[in-house]
Amino acid sequence: MSQGITLSPSRQLKKRYRAEKRFKAYCIGALVLAMAFLVLFFTDMIRQGYSAFVQTEIEVEVTYNEDTVKFTNESVREEVSPLISRAFYRTIPRRVDANPELMGTTETRWLTATAHVDQYRKGYSDRLDPELKATLDRLDSEGRVSYGFNSGLFFSGDSKIPSNAGLWSAFVGSFYVMIVVLLVSFPIGVATAIYLEEFAPDNRFTQGIEININNLAAVPSILFGLLGLAIFINFFGVPRSSALAGGLTLSLMTLPVIIISTRAALKAVPQNIRQGAQAVGASRWQAIRDHVLPLSLPGILTGTIIGIAQAMGETAPLLLIGMIAYIPDAPTSMTEAATVLPAQIFTWSGMPEGAYVSLTAAGILVLLSLLITLNATAVILRNRFERRW
Amino acid sequence: MRTRDLTGDSTQVVRVPTTERPRVNQKTKMKVRDLEVWYGEKQALHGVSMDVAENEVTALIGPSGCGKSTFLRCLNRMNDLIPDVRIKGEVEFENQNIYAPEVDVVELRSHIGMVFQKPNPFPKSIYDNIAYAPKILGQVRKRTDMEDLVEHSLKRAGLWEEVKDRLQMPGLSLSGGQQQRLCIARAIAVSPSVLLMDEPCSALDPVATATVEQLIDELKENYTIVIVTHNLQQAARVAGYTAFFHLGNIVEYSDTDSLFTHPREKKTEDYITGRYG
Repeated sequence: MSQGITLSPSRQLKKRYRAEKRFKAYCIGALVLAMAFLVLFFTDMIRQGYSAFVQTEIEVEVTYNEDTVKFTNESVREEVSPLISRAFYRTIPRRVDANPELMGTTETRWLTATAHVDQYRKGYSDRLDPELKATLDRLDSEGRVSYGFNSGLFFSGDSKIPSNAGLWSAFVGSFYVMIVVLLVSFPIGVATAIYLEEFAPDNRFTQGIEININNLAAVPSILFGLLGLAIFINFFGVPRSSALAGGLTLSLMTLPVIIISTRAALKAVPQNIRQGAQAVGASRWQAIRDHVLPLSLPGILTGTIIGIAQAMGETAPLLLIGMIAYIPDAPTSMTEAATVLPAQIFTWSGMPEGAYVSLTAAGILVLLSLLITLNATAVILRNRFERRW
Repeated sequence: MRTRDLTGDSTQVVRVPTTERPRVNQKTKMKVRDLEVWYGEKQALHGVSMDVAENEVTALIGPSGCGKSTFLRCLNRMNDLIPDVRIKGEVEFENQNIYAPEVDVVELRSHIGMVFQKPNPFPKSIYDNIAYAPKILGQVRKRTDMEDLVEHSLKRAGLWEEVKDRLQMPGLSLSGGQQQRLCIARAIAVSPSVLLMDEPCSALDPVATATVEQLIDELKENYTIVIVTHNLQQAARVAGYTAFFHLGNIVEYSDTDSLFTHPREKKTEDYITGRYG
């Protein structure tokens, strides 16, 4: 006979269950809140930014002759002329020079409208001249107004004409900077980590170095900008605003990230792999090169990609070395003045015209998708190749 | 053929006190004299002396922490890899003290191979596991020679029949017992003269253990084997000589039969009868 054992929950047990439920509810609440912020951020960015990916275009007749080459805005009928972006008129003399047979002809083309027209059509502003509105509506009813893909957003550089502004020079600048960061911080970082993890004796000195490296990863990035300004630009004379200066400065920030992740990857390789190799007569370096490094490579690459992605999104240190600049034409070398994606976003966000608001949001979307791609690559790399022991 | 800078004749017959030298009339392969080891402040070996007989299996037994693994790892200087270790005394191999400054550890370890407690094949193919060391040591250059060597080593380790059709498979895809035999094949591929085994069967099931033990028995024809084991039956089965370690000293060292049937020391008797653990 069981001596009065009941298997239904006692009062105390019920209390414990309630506490458990409460705790679970807090956690779910926190998660929901975090997700809500994220969703809010993304919907807002997409809502503001998506319209910048398309642009209003108007079909017009363009006349090329002696006069219109001089007074380019006369190449289009007078009442339509103010609707078209200045960026096109500027290209007329060049176009005629390149194709002399255009002289004296008239062609029908879809041309990018001004930012005012674009903003008006997208419903962001109503401050369009009533006369122009009337013309626009008439053209619209004739089917001569539509949206086209804003290829300029990707393939033209920055511009003071909002309808002509794009991310190209920032892309090129970012690319150069990333190349510099990769070339500088990857070899130095990996070599440092290998030395610290595999060769260095464990003493006060190396412990001090270790603490300092960990601290470096936590130093506010603006200070790295000051350091870069003092060392690379003032001392070594690297050209100001150049991709080289930016890359070197950002390398200082990426280095600790790469060192720390490489050390973690090396540490994850079990000791008996090293011992096994050395027991058959491999030297220390051979054991590392042939066995430890191949095993830790996925971890090292993951850390490097994350470090590069961080550098790619960094703006503050670049403020100090002059990379927040107006760069209409993409740089063609490492030493020319350049700007990078986040810096371009920063520049646009400070512009007064309404059209730059959409451009800023679009720039953010482009930058975010690049960073998400990079980080996803890192995650995939880690999941696919990481070996667990 | 590679050059042996550790050459010398080991044909001399030495007579030493019983703890060092259990039986006469057998060639000595390695002579250990007054070996002391410290890990930081902690002394792990207190002046151990011992002779290792050639082409025999010598077992090292004793409770955990008695210094038997430390002793084993001194024989190919694997202890050098541990930070904060201090080693005093002499280990003579091929008439040279392996702790002499002119001795190169990498060279030494190609003559004294080691098999570890946990099978640790390289994360490479079965073929590359064997071929790695002869390649980096420059012992084999031609591809056909290497294939012969891989086959020969795997045959010696009794693994050839099981893996001959899948040499390009990763070594880690083998079972535990096969992995351990792969590690033995890897160790003998560089033709060492001494094989050190640190509890080679402790991670294996009884069937795999029996296979490895049989292999050890066959290998002693060509190799001098020193094996650390926690399994007393195993020592009794495979070893010609057995040394009982306790608290960093050798308590008793003699031929296996006498040690297990007529131990001279009380401590040894307690340990082998299980009264002491």
